[in-house]
Amino acid sequence: MSGSLDKQNSTRRACGLALVIAVWGGTAVAAEPKTLHNSGDPTLALTAPLRGAKAAPPGSAPPNPDPRDLEGVWWLQGYEYLLGPEPGVPPPLKPQYMQVLERRIRAKNRGMPEADASTQCMPHGMPRLMESPYPVEIVQTPGRLTFLHEVAHNVRRIRLDKPHPKNLQPTFLGDSVGKWDGDTLVVETIGLNDRTFIDDEGSTHSGKLRTVERYRKIEGGSQLELIMTVEDPVTLERPYRYRRIYHWRPDIRPQEYICEENNRNAPEDGITVAK
Amino acid sequence: MKRVSALASLTALLLTPALAQSAPPDLTGVWAIVGYRAALKTTDGAVPPLTSEARAVYEKHLADAARGDRSFDATTLCLPPGLPRLMLLDKPFEILQREKAAYFVHQDNRMPRRAYFSEPLPDNPDPLYLGFSVARWEGAALVIDSSGFRDSTLLDDAGLPHSAALRLTERYQLDRDGKTLRARFTVDDPKTFTRPWSAEAQYVRRPGFEIPEEVCAEKLTSTHPQKRRAK
Repeated sequence: MSGSLDKQNSTRRACGLALVIAVWGGTAVAAEPKTLHNSGDPTLALTAPLRGAKAAPPGSAPPNPDPRDLEGVWWLQGYEYLLGPEPGVPPPLKPQYMQVLERRIRAKNRGMPEADASTQCMPHGMPRLMESPYPVEIVQTPGRLTFLHEVAHNVRRIRLDKPHPKNLQPTFLGDSVGKWDGDTLVVETIGLNDRTFIDDEGSTHSGKLRTVERYRKIEGGSQLELIMTVEDPVTLERPYRYRRIYHWRPDIRPQEYICEENNRNAPEDGITVAK
Repeated sequence: MKRVSALASLTALLLTPALAQSAPPDLTGVWAIVGYRAALKTTDGAVPPLTSEARAVYEKHLADAARGDRSFDATTLCLPPGLPRLMLLDKPFEILQREKAAYFVHQDNRMPRRAYFSEPLPDNPDPLYLGFSVARWEGAALVIDSSGFRDSTLLDDAGLPHSAALRLTERYQLDRDGKTLRARFTVDDPKTFTRPWSAEAQYVRRPGFEIPEEVCAEKLTSTHPQKRRAK
C-alpha cells in the first residue's frame, strides 16, 4: 500500500460531506448561487455540486481493455445533489410532487432537512446510490455483477440474462437484471420501495420507479460511462435521463464505512436526536 | 496397455501438484453454516482458554444475556459483528472468488469482506470492525490472516471477548464432493487467552439461493437497548 493511498484511505474513513470536501480540497464548486427553477428565491437554494474524483494517478495499473469486463474500482467524477435531465434542473415531477421537492429544499435551507431512509442507515435506493461520491467496486463472476459500494456498505446484485422474479417484494435497492447489448451493459431495476429519495435534495418517487442503466467503457477502459434513465408513471410527467462518468481507480480500495455508528443517536418517534 | 496406464499414472502424478497450484477450487457461491451454535468452543469442545480477567468479562456477558440484557453486544445497534463471529452466524453468505481478492458478502446487514491475495498484513493496521485480511492458497486450502481489529466486537454470539491484539487465521477447505466447506479458525490473542486455540465450522452450498436485502437499521426503534438504557 502506498503512503498516499494510506493517507487517502484513512482520511476517507470517517464519513460526511465535510470530509469529501476536505479530501477533494478546493475542487468543490464555489457556488454560483443557484436556485430551483432559477427562481432566485433563496429559500429554494440548491446545494452546489461537487466536482470530485479524477483519473487514477500516474503509475496506477492500466485499465482492462476488455469492454465486457467491468470488474474493478470505479469512482464518480462529480456529485449532483439534484438529479435531473441537466445539472441544476429538477426531474420532470408532476406538480404535487414538485411541491414536495420544494418543501424539502426549503426545509434544508432552514437547517431542518427532512430525513430519508439513508439518514437512518438504510440503503440509498435508486438512482441515488449510483450518485454516491464514494467509490464502488464491481466484482464480475459468471452470470452476475456485484456492486460493492463503499457508502454504507450498500450491495447491489445484477443477474445477467435472467427475468425479474414474479411477486417481487419491494426493497430499497429493488431487483436488478442485466444483459449485454453489444459492449453496453443494460441493467433494469424494478421492485423498489418508496422510502428513499431520488437525490439529496429530496426528489420523490413511488414504488413504480424503474431505472435503466446503460454502462459502457470509454477512453480505453479508463472511464465507465453511465446513461441513467428514470421512469415513474406516478410521480413523473415523463421519463428523463442523464449521463455520468466513473473513473477507473485501481489505486483505491473501498473502506469500511459504518453508518450504523450513528445509531447512538437513535431516532425517537421518527426524529433523530443528537446526543 | 499396461505400459500406457503406467505412463498415464506417472503423468497424473507429475501433473497433480502443478494443477493444484494453477487451479485452486472455486468457492464462489452461496454458503450456509451447518449446526449453528451461539458459543464458540475449541476443537476439543471446551470453553476457549481465557485469562482470568477475560473470563470474568465473558461470564458477565453470559449472565447479562441470561437476564435478557444484551447491551454488551454492539450488533444490537446494528454495528458489524466482527470476526470470526460474522462467519458463525446462522445466515447465508456469498463467496466471490477472484484473482486479486476473495470477497465474502454476507446476508447479515449486507456486510462485505475482502481478503486480498499476494500481500502481507500491514505492520500498523487501522482498527476496523472486520480488521484487514490477506489471503493465500495452501494447496487446495484458502488461508486468510487478519489483524487490525477493534476490541469492541465479540468473537461469537454468546459474548466471547477479544482485544485489539487479536490475530485470526481462517482455513477453508472444500470437501471432495464440492458441496461442503470446512473452516478452521485459529485465534491468537495473548491479552485475552492463555494460548492460541482453534475452532471449526462447516458450511453447505445453497445453489440458486438469492441473498435477500437485510437491513438491520429497520429493526431499530425507540425501544432498542441503547434507548432502554437511557430511560
